[in-house]
This record gives sequence, structure tokens and C-alpha cells, in this order.
Amino acid sequence: MIPAETRYARASDLDHALELLAEPDSKAIAGGQSLIPVMKLRIARPSLVVDISRLDLRGVEERDGEVHVGPLTTWNELIGAEVLQRPPLAAVAECARGIGDLQVRNLGTIGGSVVHADPASDMPAVLLALGARLRLRSPEGERALAVSDALVGPFTTTLEPDELVTDIAIPMPPHGSGSAYASVEHPASGFALAGAAALATPDGESVAVTGVGLTPFVLSGDLSDAEIFGDRFAPAEYRRALARVVADRALSAARERAKVNR
Amino acid sequence: MSDTLGVARPRLDAPEKVTGATRFAADGYVHGLLHARPVLATEPHARIRGFDTDATLAVPGVVAVLSAADLPLAGTGTDRTSEPLAREEVVFAGQPVALVVAETEAAAEDGAELLVVDYEPLEAVVDVEAAMEPGAALARTVEDSDDEGGDLESVHGQVDKGQEDDAGEQLSGNVLDRVTREQGDVAAAFAASDAVVEATFRTPWVYQAYIEPQVCTAWLEPSGTLVVSTSTQGSFVTRRELARAFDLPLDRVRVIAEPLGGAFGGKFALVEPLAVGAALALQRPVRLVLTRSEDFAATNPASAQVTHLKVAARADGTLTAIEARMIVDRGTNAGWGVEGATSLLVAGPYRWQAHDLRGYGVQTNRFTFGAYRAPGAPTAAFALESLLDELARELDLDPIELRLKNAVVEGDVGVSGNPFPTIGAVEVLERLREHPLWAQRNSLPDGEAVGMAAGHWPGAMEPASAVCRVDADGTMTVVTSVADMSGVNSGFAVIAAAAFGLPPEQVRVVTADTASAPYAGASGGSKVTYTVGPAVIRAAEAAREKLLAAAAQELEIAPGDLEVVDGVVRAVGAPDRSMTVQEVASKALRFGGRYEPIEGHGGSAQTSGAPSVAAHLSHVRVDRQTGEVTVLRHVIAQDVGRALNPALVEGQMRGGAVQGIGWALFEQLDHDEDGRLLTGSFLDYAIPTAERVPEIDTLIVEVPAPDGPFGAKGIGEAPVVGAPAAVANAVARAAGTRLYELPMTPPRVWQALRS
Ligand SMILES: Cc1cc2nc3c(=O)[nH]c(=O)nc-3n(C[C@H](O)[C@H](O)[C@H](O)COP(=O)(O)OP(=O)(O)OC[C@H]3O[C@@H](n4cnc5c(N)ncnc54)[C@H](O)[C@@H]3O)c2cc1C
Repeated sequence: MIPAETRYARASDLDHALELLAEPDSKAIAGGQSLIPVMKLRIARPSLVVDISRLDLRGVEERDGEVHVGPLTTWNELIGAEVLQRPPLAAVAECARGIGDLQVRNLGTIGGSVVHADPASDMPAVLLALGARLRLRSPEGERALAVSDALVGPFTTTLEPDELVTDIAIPMPPHGSGSAYASVEHPASGFALAGAAALATPDGESVAVTGVGLTPFVLSGDLSDAEIFGDRFAPAEYRRALARVVADRALSAARERAKVNR
Repeated sequence: MSDTLGVARPRLDAPEKVTGATRFAADGYVHGLLHARPVLATEPHARIRGFDTDATLAVPGVVAVLSAADLPLAGTGTDRTSEPLAREEVVFAGQPVALVVAETEAAAEDGAELLVVDYEPLEAVVDVEAAMEPGAALARTVEDSDDEGGDLESVHGQVDKGQEDDAGEQLSGNVLDRVTREQGDVAAAFAASDAVVEATFRTPWVYQAYIEPQVCTAWLEPSGTLVVSTSTQGSFVTRRELARAFDLPLDRVRVIAEPLGGAFGGKFALVEPLAVGAALALQRPVRLVLTRSEDFAATNPASAQVTHLKVAARADGTLTAIEARMIVDRGTNAGWGVEGATSLLVAGPYRWQAHDLRGYGVQTNRFTFGAYRAPGAPTAAFALESLLDELARELDLDPIELRLKNAVVEGDVGVSGNPFPTIGAVEVLERLREHPLWAQRNSLPDGEAVGMAAGHWPGAMEPASAVCRVDADGTMTVVTSVADMSGVNSGFAVIAAAAFGLPPEQVRVVTADTASAPYAGASGGSKVTYTVGPAVIRAAEAAREKLLAAAAQELEIAPGDLEVVDGVVRAVGAPDRSMTVQEVASKALRFGGRYEPIEGHGGSAQTSGAPSVAAHLSHVRVDRQTGEVTVLRHVIAQDVGRALNPALVEGQMRGGAVQGIGWALFEQLDHDEDGRLLTGSFLDYAIPTAERVPEIDTLIVEVPAPDGPFGAKGIGEAPVVGAPAAVANAVARAAGTRLYELPMTPPRVWQALRS
């Protein structure tokens, strides 16, 4: 329960952070709500912890048909963001509200959640359903990456070790859209046993699920062919059924919200 | 006095606990303290070939790596006190095999991570039923040559053990104990019944989940006295166990029971031998604080159990026969098990015409079984009360009426062969029946239902004494050795205040250590208030006699004509002729004073039991799509004898109900097929957190215990007993199908709904 020996440095700005992260085996820390636990278990043992929590990468802003969310935005800040109360992006605030407890929501960040890539974390499903893109910065420069291309396996992303998320861009769905998140939580961890985010627009619908596979994924079809994860607590057969239930629930709620938004 | 007892008051320790001022066993400052980290076995069953300690010892700050051979243990017993580190044979994954001791906690952890243990794996015994078969591999191959086994069983309630079975059943050596209770012609009684139901019930290993993990600090005084500052339920029992394990004279061991951060049966001399062994070996103070994961893996949870039960009744609801075969997974505990208790308690607080009850205590390579609030009872009640509901359904009887018809009253002979003492089973069931929720049960929305169940706990006894001392400021200090569990000290305060004649605010209660405290047993078995309470009364009365003797001289009134009311000694009928307790005490407690100090000692040795009965209503909603069960409301009625402080009583009732909801829906220590723990953290092991616990109504029923302090009974354990069954009965109604295995997790409910 005591992390292995490590050093700590606070980044003063983005360039400083990237400079510090050039050290092999260094790791950025935002809210620390995922990294500290794995360090305590000594599953992660970075030589240097680079504190990025004071960087100016926080807040929710609507601009050019997109909503830009700073990666350091905490769950509680998402819950309070005005644009995320409205039907099209209501899934984001709804999802954030159900994460962890108050302490976790005060510290945990959306960027940390995506990069940690816990296959049972909630928010990635929402970002997938909404078609969100990450903006990444490394010493080599900048690039954009769809969340669907970033998440490739349990606790695994396609980010380079020295890359930081600097922005999460969510396309603003058209007028007449609604989104929702529904989940059944694991009774101990509170993470999703199965969670689903849905977006209903006048042009079509999209649903993404989390908790049931090796990584959250966008749904195509009725889940019969999807590779579903199972364990002694919740066998795959159950999770598959649960994923269908939460997908239905999220979709009906999204459609309801879409109606209100017309 | 009338406004002392029966008034809801906050616990004396509440302000300290909520403001963080309490010093727990992990908090005390000790000069030169070393920190120990246990290394836990990764194999469920193995022989230890050896250790590679080089890397560990190379860590700066690491002082020593200790294995069993390094601890100055006296015997070769295999109980956890005698064998705190596995000697040669590892018998469960999680068993401590070595201690790394270092100058800092971090160095100890660094060192522990680097210790290499060389195991030779042995066949692990993980299926308790298969373990019983003749020819099954044994969970322990090295014989215990010195099995005194301690006598920790005695502290957990007195349930007689029945007679040994000599029926010649062929069983493996893993079966450590068989208990049989038979009376009447069971087969004939079943044949003559109108409804017979039977089923097999399973309950898992359940963790006590106290907030404060197990912790102990031990050091040697320069005089050679061993001091043990620990989180324990019993200081004297810990002293006895440590003296036995390390062959020390009792007077060289001083055990301090520090404020408890919860225990629920789990804190009995389990980690003390580790800290003590290291302190003795290294001759330096040593502290061991288990991490939560270590506490999950290495301690002593409640047994898993398999219960085959068959019960029957006549058409009018009269219960006829009960037959049980109960398999208790003791894990590696060779000393005791709950097969005796569970096979007694499975009969419930009901009359039967014939019974055949069997209990089997079986060893496996899972944990070491330990006590948990009402050991063996929740699982027994889960089986019995489920089947009673099935009988009621088959016979079209109201479930409460069925139970009322058969509820025992004083004098009824139980399956133990002994008559029940005063018992409030009927009163509790009648009270529960009046709750509006019971009437509402037939007009609930689809997917919702109310279930009921009852349970009881026989209580326990052990001699105890207490001291009451009045200081010159007129306040009283009650001194006992009792570990303050479930608010018992706050109960002593009102007991002493009422018996002496002081306002309760003027009474303090101190838990003294074994060097100075009057004797009392451990906190457990629902026996503290029932057995120590009378000792406190007698101690307060003895102090009062001293007070009256002194006041009589001061006021020139015979002691028999004086009374003590609210801290004032006054003449009966002439209240203005008075002195305050403070005035009398300050005349005694001074140089040249003429009166004996206002102090008294009192003892008790209860010989009559005072069982407590609790019954529950649980209102649940079952989500048919997901299998999730939500408890919407819960009601508990309990006979507490006399509610000395209703706030404490209701706290016990609520706490018991909540833990019962945990048994019902959430809690299970699950192993994989190889015997490795899968649910060894709060990420995997669910407990009933605040957001999952509904409003709980408490209905206090008072059927006084003739020998209880002011009529009070032991009440700590009864409230958990029937709660899982009440939830199960509600789920059975709401889902339209019954679950026979706890906990009723969403996947299991979903599965049951589909089949
Ligand atoms: C008690 C508890 C309950 C929880 N319950 C839930 C739950 O119900 N559902 C759920 O989804 N989650 C839950 N979480 C996880 C929580 O949401 C985490 O806060 C979140 O997953 C990670 O955010 P963080 O800011 O804490 O990340 P950190 O722990 O600081 O970092 C996590 C990882 O992300 C990397 N990282 C962080 N920011 C960036 C960035 N800008 N660019 C690149 N890499 C970055 C870090 O290097 C690290 O590898 C829970 C956590 C706790 C402690």
C-alpha cells in the first residue's frame, strides 16, 4: 500500500510538462484517482511523476460547432457545465454524476479516465457514442485521434508515452438530438458491469457500451457476435444480456430527450 | 433513576470518534518502533522449501526477515495463535509465512516485495463437500502434535455441542467434528405431515469488514514485561493466549485493549502473536498494521456453509419434524467450528415434535474460520426461514401466523434438550405483524414484495467484575477490562448512574489493561451488558454504601433513611437535609479524612441465559431485466429485555439489519478453483454502503430478563440472524422464484428468473 520509490515534479506549463515527460518511465498525473491506486499496488512504478494538474487545460467551451473539453476538467466540473445540461450532450453530465463518490468527482478528470483506459470506466462509452476526438501534443508536435482509435485494449491506448491529451472535442449534435447514459454498476467497485451511452439525432442513432468487453466499443448489431468478457461474478452470458438492457435504456432515454429538443 | 434508564443518549465515545481524537492501536507513539510487513502465502497448500532473503536484507532500513523458526514460540499447535507464521506447511493462500521488519513502513514494504519463498505445491482442498469423501486429499498433512487449540470457542456464545455421531458414516480425515442431535421418530413425523419441503442452501465465506484493520503494537519494558497495545475484543483472553503461545507467566504480559474500530467477532489474538513474536525475537518495539488487502486475505472470516434442510407441518401449521445436515467449512481451523451452533440454531425459536440435526466441521485450504456476529446463525436462519415460508405457501397460511403458532415460550424444551428461559418470540412476532408494511404487502406494484423472517441468539455467560470510584468532584469512574465494542461502555454509564443515583453525564467509563483491571471476558456472544452490567450495578451499590455511611455521619441520619437522587444525598421525606455527592466525596478523599473512599467492587456470575429474538420485514424491488435487488424499506422488531439506552439499542438493531442485508445481497469471499482469493479488496467485495441501505424502522420490544441488569438482555447478535432470510423471502415473492444461495447477486437473480 506504499508506492515504490518515485520522484515528483510539477509542470509549470505544457512545454515544461513535455520536457519532464521525456524521461523514460515518467508518468503524468492529473487527478491521481487511477494512477495513485495502481502505484500503491505497485502495478505502476514510475520513476518520475509529472504533476500536470495546474496546467491550463480545464473547462468546457462551445466553439465552431464543437464542444471542447479540457482534459483536466473534473467530473464535478462536467456535472456543472451548462452546455452539458442540454439534451444533445446530456449524457456527459449524466455519466459524470454516477462516477465514484464526491471525493473522486472532485479530483478525477475526463482526460485521465480516457488515457487510463479501464475497460469498465464509464465516460469512454459516452465519448465513443458522441464521436469525440482527442488532440494530442508531444515533443514531435500535435495530432488528432478519434477516441475509437485511441482505445485498443484493457488499460491500453495508442498514445505514445510522451504524448499528452490537450483537448477533447465533441461534435455538437444537430438540433433535435438527445443523448443519455445508463449503466448497472458492479456492487463493489461502482464501475460499470455494463454501461451504455446513446445518441439519437434526426439523422440516426449511435450506441456505445462499456464494461462488457476488453475495451468500450461502438455497437453494431445486437451484440450476439460481440466478444463479451465474463468472470465468476458476472458470466459473459449475463453481461451480454445486461449490455442489451442498458443499451435499450440509454437509447429510449436519448430519444425522449431528442423529442424535448425539437 | 426513572429518567436515567430508557433515555436515548449519544455514545460517550462519539465526540472523540467523529472528531478524529480517538487514539487507536495504530496511533500511539512508541520510541524506537519497528514496522512489520507480513509476507502472505501465494499457494493455497504447499510445503515451504525455503526463503531467499538476500534482496530483502539488502534494502536499507530492513532489520530482519523472520520465519516461524525465528519466533520464540513454545508449542507446536496449529491454531493461529500458536502458529502465527506457517511452519513448514502452508494451508491457505494468504497465510502469513514471514515477517519483514524494518525501521520504516516503506522499507518493510520494499523488503517484503523482494522476499522469495520457495514452495512445493500440494493438492489443495477447496470443495468442502468433496473434502468429506473418504479418500479425499487432506487439507493439512502435518499432524498437530500439541493441539491445545486454545479455547477461543468459549468466548463466542454458549451453544451446547450435542452428542457425537457413531453411526459409522464413512468420512475423510478432513471432517474434524461431527455433531448429532436426535429426538423422536423423524421419519414417522414426516410421513404424518401435510406438507414437507426440503432444499439445499449455500452461504459463502463472509468478511467482518470492520473499519479498522487488524493492528497490534508490542514492546518489552526494561523490567521484562511484555506490553501489547492492540485492537482486540478481549484483553484477558489475549493475555492468556499469548502467555500460552510464548510460554510466559501471566504477570509478565500486559494487554491494553485500545479503542476498537470495529471487530464483529474477528479480533481475537490473530495478529498479536506476530507483533509479539517479532518484538521478543528482536527485543525492540514492533508494530503490525494489516493493509486492507492483507486483512481480507489473512484473517478469519465467517465459514462458508452448505445446509440440507427438510421441514414439515400439519395442515393447521403445526410444525412437526426437522432434519438437517449442515456442512461447515472451517478452513484451517482445527480448534473449533460452528457446526454445533448452527445445527442447534437451525431449529429456530420454534417447537418441533421430532428432530435429526447433524453438523459437520470440515477442513479445507481456505482461510481460517473465525467468529462473525452470531456465528452460524444467519446461515441457519436463512435455510429455516426460507422453508417456513415455503410451508406457509403450500398450506396457504400467513407466514407470521405460521411462526406464531409454533413460537417457543418459557419452559418449552428446545432441541438442545434444555427448556427455554424467558423469551419474547411471540411478543416480537405480534409487534412485527402490527407494522403497516405487513398490511401493505398485498398491494404493491409488480416486482415488489415484502418478506419476513425471525432469528434468535441464545446469548452467553462469563464471570465478570467491575469497580466504581467516586472522585472528589462528585463524578464517578467505572473501571472494567471490557473492550468498548458496540457502545457497551456507554451502557455501563447509565447502569452505574441509575444504581448509584448520579446523573449519567457525571459517569465516565474506563477500559483498564490486564495489569490493573477487574476481570471480565471478551466482548462477544452478546454477553457484555448481560454479565458485566450486573457487576457494575453491584459495584455502584457498594460505592453507594460507602457514600451513605459517610453521609450518615455528616448528616446524623441513619443510612437507611437516606436516598441518593441526581447526585444529592438526602433524607427520605426531608429533602432539604442533604449533601451533594461531591461534598461527601471530598470529605473522604483528603489527608486526615475520616471516611473510606467512595468506591465499590462488584462481581457477577450469571447462570441463566437470556435469548433475544429479532424479526424482520424487508420490502424489496427486483429488476427483472437486470436481476438487481433494491431494499426499499426494512423493519426490525427485537426483544431487548430492557432498552437501557434506546439509541444504542436501535444502533445495534440497525447495524444487524444492515449486515444481514450484506449477507443477503452483497458479501462473498470467493476463491477460484485453485483456492486463490478473488474478492480480496473492496473493489471486488461488496458491502451494504450507505446509498444501498434503506430507511430501517426499529420496533423495541421489552420482555425483561429476570437476571439481566434492570431486565436487559444481550442484544448485539440477534438482529443480524433473521435479516438475510427476510430479504430472501421478499426476493422469492417479488421474483416469483426462490434463491438458495447467498448472496443474491444480480447475475444469480437474473439466472433464477430465466430458469
Ligand atoms: C474510489 C474510486 C471510484 C471510482 N469510480 C469510478 C467509476 O464509477 N467509473 C469510472 O469510470 N471511474 C471511476 N473511478 C476512476 C476515476 O474516474 C479516475 O479519476 C479517472 O479514471 C482517472 O482520472 P484522473 O484524473 O484521476 O487520472 P490520473 O489517475 O491522474 O491518471 C490516470 C492515467 O491517465 C494519464 N493521464 C492523465 N491525464 C492525462 C493527459 N491529459 N494526457 C495524457 N495522459 C494523461 C496518467 O498518466 C495516468 O496514466 C474511480 C476512482 C476511485 C478512486
